[in-house]
Amino acid sequence: MRWLTLVMFWLAVGFAVLTAPVAAIPVRSAHTEAELVSEVRSVQPGRPFWVALRLKMDPEWHTYWLNPGDSGTATTLQWRQPAGIQAGPLRWPYPQRISAPPLASYGYEGTVYLLSEIQAPADLKPGAKLALRAKAEWLECKVECLPGAGTVALELPVQAEATAPSVHADAIASARGRLPVTIADWKLRAAVQEGQLILRATRPEWFAGETGPVTFFPEQDLLIEPAAPQVLESRPDGFLLKLKRSAVSTALPERIAGVLVAPAGWRGTGSEQALSAQVALEPAAAVLSAGAPDLAGLLVAVGFAFLGGIILNLMPCVLPVLSIKVLGFVQEARTGHAWRYGLAFTTGVLASFWLLAGGLLLLRAGGEQLGWGFQLQSPPFLVILCAVLFLFGLNLFGIFEVGTALTRLGGAGPAGGLGGSFFSGVLATTVATPCTAPFMGSALGYALTQPAWAALLVFTALGLGMASPYLLLSLSPALLRFVPKPGAWMETFKQAMGFLLMGTVVWLGWVLGLQAGVSALAALLAALVVLGAAAWALGKWGHMAAPAPTRLTARVLAALGIVGALGVALVGVEQQSAASSGPAQATASPSDGIRWEAFSPQRVAALRAAGTPVFIDFTAAWCLSCQVNERVAFSSPQVREAFARGGFVMLKADWTKRDATIAQALAQFGRSGVPLYVLYGPTAGAPPRILPEVLTPDIIVKAIQELL
Amino acid sequence: MKRKAFVMAALSLALVAANVSTVQADALVGQPAPSFTAADTNGKSHALADFKDKYVVLEWTNYDCPFVVKQYSTQAMQEMQKMAAGKGVVWLSVNSSAAGKQGNYPAEKWNTLAKEKGAAPKAILLDGDGKIGQLYGAKTTPHMYIINPEGKLIYNGAIDDKPTTDAATKPQTNYVAAALTESMAGKPVTVATTRPYGCSVKY
Repeated sequence: MRWLTLVMFWLAVGFAVLTAPVAAIPVRSAHTEAELVSEVRSVQPGRPFWVALRLKMDPEWHTYWLNPGDSGTATTLQWRQPAGIQAGPLRWPYPQRISAPPLASYGYEGTVYLLSEIQAPADLKPGAKLALRAKAEWLECKVECLPGAGTVALELPVQAEATAPSVHADAIASARGRLPVTIADWKLRAAVQEGQLILRATRPEWFAGETGPVTFFPEQDLLIEPAAPQVLESRPDGFLLKLKRSAVSTALPERIAGVLVAPAGWRGTGSEQALSAQVALEPAAAVLSAGAPDLAGLLVAVGFAFLGGIILNLMPCVLPVLSIKVLGFVQEARTGHAWRYGLAFTTGVLASFWLLAGGLLLLRAGGEQLGWGFQLQSPPFLVILCAVLFLFGLNLFGIFEVGTALTRLGGAGPAGGLGGSFFSGVLATTVATPCTAPFMGSALGYALTQPAWAALLVFTALGLGMASPYLLLSLSPALLRFVPKPGAWMETFKQAMGFLLMGTVVWLGWVLGLQAGVSALAALLAALVVLGAAAWALGKWGHMAAPAPTRLTARVLAALGIVGALGVALVGVEQQSAASSGPAQATASPSDGIRWEAFSPQRVAALRAAGTPVFIDFTAAWCLSCQVNERVAFSSPQVREAFARGGFVMLKADWTKRDATIAQALAQFGRSGVPLYVLYGPTAGAPPRILPEVLTPDIIVKAIQELL
Repeated sequence: MKRKAFVMAALSLALVAANVSTVQADALVGQPAPSFTAADTNGKSHALADFKDKYVVLEWTNYDCPFVVKQYSTQAMQEMQKMAAGKGVVWLSVNSSAAGKQGNYPAEKWNTLAKEKGAAPKAILLDGDGKIGQLYGAKTTPHMYIINPEGKLIYNGAIDDKPTTDAATKPQTNYVAAALTESMAGKPVTVATTRPYGCSVKY
C-alpha cells in the first residue's frame, strides 16, 4: 500500500501547486492576516483585472471602513510597483456598524476583501511575470486597538489567453457585489432639519419588493452621529430615513456622500444591497413635502381609526371603565343636561389621545423606537396605572368616598360634574391603550409614518370614534329613553364592576412582573396594601360626618400613605427594572404546545431564503388582544396541526419590553403596535400574508391552506 | 377634578419621558464649555471654574492606545504640553476608561507612567465613570478640546491631520497648536471642529 500513499502524496502536491494562489505572501499582525490576492490566475497584456487586500481578523476583532465612524482609522494600501502598472483606487465593500455604546464605528469583522482594479500594461510579454507590491496599514481593534502593517506582494504569470479563475475569485466577486452601485431609478433627496439629516427615497415603479431595514453609512466626517439610532419611516412611494446630525459640527457639505444598505436588495430579493448615495442638500420643506400623505390614504386611515375607536369600546380593557360610564348616563339622562357631560367625556378622551400621540411623536422624533402601547413598556407607568385602578375599584366597593370626587369618576351623576366626565374619558383612554381593535392597527401604523399633523388627525379620529357612542347618546334625548331607570341595582352593579377592575390590576401586575421581575411585583403589591389601608382610613374617619380634627388627620394620613406608598414602589420598581434589563421572559404567552423560537430579522431572512414557511407572532404581555388571540386561536388543536403540516417555523417577537429591533420590524409591515401576525408561505420572495388583529382558529387554518 | 386628570396625564407622560435615555450633551464650539469637577491622580480636586481667565486644553488620553503612544513616543505631546505651560495655558489630561478596561490605572501608576514619559500636564483627571467624557462627547484618545479665557469652547477634535499610529508619519498641522496660536493672537480659529481620530474612549 506504500506506493498508493506515495502516489496520493504527489498528486496532492501537484494539486496544491496548480491551485495555489500565485505567489502571494501573507503577512500577520497580532490579530489580522493580510494578503494580496487576485481574481485571476494569470494576466493578459492590456486587460484589467481585480485584486484585493484580504484581511482576515481574529474572532471579535475588526478593522475599519473608509470612514471609521467615532473611532479608529481606515485601512490604507499604498502601491509600490514598477511604473506602468495602473492600480485603481481602493474600493470598499459596505461595512457593518460596530457598536460600543455610547460610541459606534464602521468596519469589518471576519474576512474582508478591499478591492482594486489593475490595468495590465499592453506591452507585457507572455511568459513574463507581473509583480505587485503594496504597503498595507490598518488598525485592528476589539475593545483595545493595535496597529498592523506589512508589505503584501503578489506575482502573476502573463499568458496570452485567460486561464481558470483563482481560488479567491468567488470571494472577490462576492465582495464586488457589496460595493455601492448607482441605480438612477431610485430617486434620493436629502435635507437637514432640526438636528436631523433626512434622506428621502422614492422607489422605482418596477420595484415591488421590500428593502428591509435600511442603514446609511456616511462617507463624510462629522455628518451624522454613528451611534444614534436611524429612524426609518415608510412612505407610500418609498421611505424616509432620519439620522441624527453630528452633535459637534454645524458645518454642512453641499452634497452628502454615503452608502445606503438594504438587506433585501435594491433591485429585488438577492440583488445588490449597497446603493451609492451622492445627494445635494435641498431645503427641508421641498424634500419633506415630496412625501406628503396622499389624500386617499389619509381618508382611509381616518375612517379606519374612527371605526377602530368605536370597536375599542367593546375590547376587554375598556369595558369595565365604560360600563361605569353608562351608569353616569342613567342619572344624567334625567337632568336634561346630558350633552354637556357627553362633551366633557369626549374632551377627556381626545385630550388624552393627543397627549399620548404628542408624546409618542416627540419621542420618535428623538430617535426612539417606540410604537402604540409604548407607555405600557414603562414599569413606572404600570405602577401608577395599577394604583389608580385599584383605588377606583375600592371606591366602587364603597370602601371610601371622596366628597364629590372619586365616586363620580365614572360620571355617576351630575354632582360628579363636568370634571368627572372629563376624567372618565382620560381613564378610558389610558386603559384602552393595551387593546388594539380591528382596523386600528393599520390606521395607527400609517399615522406614525406620516407628518405630525396627519398623525394627530388619525389619533383624533380614533378618539372621536371611541367617544362617539356616548356623545351620540348624550346628544340625543330620544336615545336616552332606552337607558334603564336608576335604582338600587346600580350600587350592586358598581360593586360587581369593582371586581373587573381588580382583575385588570392583577393583569397589569403580571405584565410588570414580566418586565421587572418578581421583586418589582412584590413592591407593587406592598404599595397596594398601603393604598388600601389609606383608602380605608379615609373612608372610616375622613368622611364629612366625622369631627373636623379627626377628618383632617385621616385625610392627611391617607394622602401621606398614598404618596409614600407610590414613591417607594416607583423607586423599587425602577431599581428592579434596571437590574433585569434582559428581554422579557418567554412566559408572556400561554404554554400552547407550539415550539416558539425567538424572532430575529436574520432568522426570518435565512428561513425565507430557504423557502421555509414562517409564522411570526408580534405580541406583548400588556397587549390584551394578543393574549386573547393566543388563548383562543393558538391553543386550538386544528391550528397546531395546520402549522405542523405546513412545516412552519414559529417565531415569536415579544415586545413586552422596549425593543428597537422589533419596533423596526413592525415598521416594515407598516405597523407601530402589536398584535401583528405575519404568515410567509413556501415560495421564496413572495409577499407575506398579514392576518387580522382578531384571530379565530378558522381564520388561521384558512390562511394556511390558501398559502400552501 | 380637571386638575387631577391633568396632573395624572402629565405625570404619566413625564414618567415615560424620564424612562428614555438622556441625550448626550456634546460640547459645541462657540458655546460655553460644560463645567465639571474631578479629582486628579494626586487626589486633588479641579473644577473648570478654577481656571477662569485662562486657556484650558483638555486632552483625552489612554497610555495604552497606539495613537496616544505615537504622540508621546515622538515627544509631540510633551512638547505641546510644555509650550502650552510656557504660555500660561492649563493643560488637563483626562482618562475616561471604565474600571477594568484598558487604560484605567490606579493613581500612583498614572503618576509613574507620566513621569517616565516626561508628560507635563497641569493634572491628570480620573473620570472612571465617564461623566466628563460623556458631557463633552469625547470619542477617541486623543480627543482634544480648547477652552478660551471667557470659558467658551474654541476647538473640538483631532490633535493633528495625520490619523495614523505610524511614528514616521509627521503631521503637517497640529490643530491644537494652530488654534491656540490663532486665538492668542486675537484671531478667530480657522479649523475649529475636526473629526477626532484614535482609539475609542473605553467607557
